[in-house]
Amino acid sequence: MTVLVLTSAQDVTADLVVAELHELGVPLVRFDPADLPGEVALSTEYVRGEFRGYLSTGGRVASVDALRSVWVRRPGGAAAHAEEPSAWLAEETDHALYGMLDSTDARWMNHPSAAARARRKTWQMRVAHRSGFPVPATLVTTYPAMARRFAEQYRHVVVKSVSGKSPGDPPMALPTTLVPPDADFSGVAAGPTLFQRYIAKRADIRLTSVGDTHFAARKTAEAGQVDGRFGDTGHSWQPVDVPPQVARAVERYKRHASLAYGAFDFAEEEQTGTWWFLECNQGGQFGFVELDTGQPLARTVAEWLAAEPG
Amino acid sequence: MRGQGRKQQMKPFAWNYARPAEQAPALATYSYDAALQLNVLADGRPAILDRALLAAAGTTTSKAGSATHFDD
Ligand SMILES: Nc1ncnc2c1ncn2[C@@H]1O[C@H](COP(=O)(O)OP(=O)(O)O)[C@@H](O)[C@H]1O
Ligand SMILES: [Mg+2]
Repeated sequence: MTVLVLTSAQDVTADLVVAELHELGVPLVRFDPADLPGEVALSTEYVRGEFRGYLSTGGRVASVDALRSVWVRRPGGAAAHAEEPSAWLAEETDHALYGMLDSTDARWMNHPSAAARARRKTWQMRVAHRSGFPVPATLVTTYPAMARRFAEQYRHVVVKSVSGKSPGDPPMALPTTLVPPDADFSGVAAGPTLFQRYIAKRADIRLTSVGDTHFAARKTAEAGQVDGRFGDTGHSWQPVDVPPQVARAVERYKRHASLAYGAFDFAEEEQTGTWWFLECNQGGQFGFVELDTGQPLARTVAEWLAAEPG
Repeated sequence: MRGQGRKQQMKPFAWNYARPAEQAPALATYSYDAALQLNVLADGRPAILDRALLAAAGTTTSKAGSATHFDD
């Protein structure tokens, strides 16, 4: 039984998991859907009720009914590296590949449909609340007046991107930033904007959940610091226990979202120590946490992928 | 050129808070080895042995043009 790893060639974080799979002695096939067709080839056939499928790359051939799991890590768009890429070819290739893979009994980390839905922050807020997480008051709006009222009501509010992506080409950075209450909100009419109550925090929390195993890490924040990713404070990520009620909420969230993997961001509130839900990255990075904390994240992902279909 | 009296195009609010992305640090060169299905350094050792490289590639702050640094 083979593990399929879908990611870009230069993804060295995926290498951590591939090395663990090698160590476990588990056969795997790794490729980037961007290289299909070309370096990757596929064939699926439905003949007289029999379904067969094969994938090949770099001299390896995998029969799709021998796939135990699929890890969707950082795949390029289907056919993106084709000699003559086109939207049509991308769609044809995407359907051929994912239609084939979806016809198997392989376990997914994470299934593309679940992943697409789980990326949306507005949906995340709703599911997080239902799962039992405290969620900071949040507004996504194109009404400047609503934005102004929200900022006046909560006084300390942040703005961040709705999709988590940065604008511009080449991309700019869009750190989560405090908005002064007297800001000019007219630009809200030019694009849906996400505002959220600022949580005065003593630390950022990153919780990486792999199957039934949860690893939390904590990074002390400077007084008044907003986005923990910007501005080096000299603090590093430290392992921290997962409170049982958080573990239960994580499990409810992932079950509801049909996710096998999720990287949750929380803000640990200054006064109360409460972990406020900020987001769940369905394909969140984990290499930086493993490097700082020594938590065996890559190993746990590899073991999840290596388990036989149940 | 825009005609006179045309409303000036408004920038989405969040753009006021965008700033140039920091330059990706210079990384050791590495390349994909299709036989190992892993990246290797110029001297043939696995790229994951280079902690500085791993740290830079696994960060959650997005760097311009990167296929692997984003966090979603
Ligand atoms: N409401 C908030 N209060 C305090 N800090 C926040 C808040 N929202 C986000 N942050 C900080 O900004 C970082 C990025 O925000 P996040 O919600 O994770 O969005 P994204 O990663 O998609 O940009 C968080 O990890 C945290 O450090
Ligand atoms: Mg985040």
